[in-house]
Amino acid sequence: MKKLLIVEDHADIRKLLRMTLEFEEFDIHEASNGDVGLAMARDIVPDVVLLDLMMPGYLNGLDVCRHIKTDPGMQHSKVIMLTARGKASDQEAGAQAGADAYLTKPFSTLQVLETIYRLTGTP
Amino acid sequence: MNAEDTNFSTGFIPTDRRFDDEAGAQMERFVEDFGRMYRERNEALKEVTRAHHEALMHLSIAADLKDDDTGVHIIRIGYLAEALALCLGQSRGYASMLRKAAPMHDIGKIGIPDNVLKKAGALNAEERQTMNLHTKMGADILGRSRIEVFQLAAEVALTHHERFDGTGYPHQLAGTDIPLSGRITAVVDFFDALTMDRVYRPAFSLEKALEMLLAERGKAFDPRLVDVFMANVSDLDRIRCDVTQRRPNFLSLIDAP
Repeated sequence: MKKLLIVEDHADIRKLLRMTLEFEEFDIHEASNGDVGLAMARDIVPDVVLLDLMMPGYLNGLDVCRHIKTDPGMQHSKVIMLTARGKASDQEAGAQAGADAYLTKPFSTLQVLETIYRLTGTP
Repeated sequence: MNAEDTNFSTGFIPTDRRFDDEAGAQMERFVEDFGRMYRERNEALKEVTRAHHEALMHLSIAADLKDDDTGVHIIRIGYLAEALALCLGQSRGYASMLRKAAPMHDIGKIGIPDNVLKKAGALNAEERQTMNLHTKMGADILGRSRIEVFQLAAEVALTHHERFDGTGYPHQLAGTDIPLSGRITAVVDFFDALTMDRVYRPAFSLEKALEMLLAERGKAFDPRLVDVFMANVSDLDRIRCDVTQRRPNFLSLIDAP
C-alpha cells in the first residue's frame, strides 16, 4: 500500500484531504506543521507528500520540500505542493525546491488522486 | 474580514486553524457522499468493462474458429504479449492491459465473408485485399469504446499486420511508427501460430519456429523485440506450454490483476 503524508496546518483541510484519499487504499499519515512533517517524513519515508506551502513554524513548505528532495533516504518520495490560487511565484519557488507537482487551493479532489497516480505509476 | 486577515493583523499565527463547526461538518458530508459516488462509479465502470470484454472475447474466439476450435490460441497470445512486454521493461500496468487487449486482435475477421475467410487454398489478389480489411474492421469494432483497454485493443487490431520494414498493412507504417502493442502482438502471434497444429500442417518444432522468427528480424519484426524474445525464449515457451496445459478460460485472463 502506498504511504502518503499530509503536511498542512489547517485541521479541516487536512481532514478533507484525508477523506478524499480514503476513497482509495492508502496508508495515510498527517502532520500539522513543517517541522513535524519533515521529522515524520524521515521516519516513515512516504511515497507521496502532500505539502502546504504556507505554514507556521520554523520550516515552511518550501524548506520541507528542499530537505526531502536532498535527503538520500527519500529519493523515491514525490512531493505535491499545495499553493494558493494564481500565485505564479509560488509555483516557481516550488519548482526550484524540487516539487514534483503543484495543486492550487481550493484543490480538486479528483485531481489530487490523479496526480498521486501519475507520480506513483498506479493503479 | 476572514480569519486569515485577522491573524495577520494581530501577528498571531495559530497552529491549528479550523472552519466554522457547522460549515466544516457539512463539507465533510459532501465529501463522504462524493466518495460514495466515486466508488460506486468505479465499480459500475468495472462491471460494464467486464461484460463488454466478455462479449468481445466471445466474438474474437468465433472469429478465430477456422484456425483454432479451442480458443486457446488467442488466450496464449494474451499471456505471451504480457510476458514479452515485461521482458521489454514495460510497466506491470501496461503489460497487464496488453494481456487483456491482444487476444482481440483478429476480431475484425467476423466481418470477412466466409468464401474468403474459409477458403482452403491460397487467396487471389482481390481476396487478399478483402482479408486485409480485418485490421480496420477490428479497430472499428473495438475503437467505439472509450474504455482504455479497448482503445489499446483497437490499436493492436489496426497495427498487428504492419511490418517493421514498412511493407505491411493497412498503412505501411515502419519501425517505431508502429505502436509497441502492435509490434509485440505481431511477434507473439507469429511464434504461437507456428508452434501450434493447423488443419493443413502439424506444428513446427520450437527450433524451426525460432529460426523462422530470426529470419524476419528487422523485416517483419522489430529487431529489438526479436532479440529480447530470443533472450527470454525459455520463459516464454514455458508460458506457452503452461497455458496450453492449464487451459485458463478467458475470464481468468480478464480478471487477473
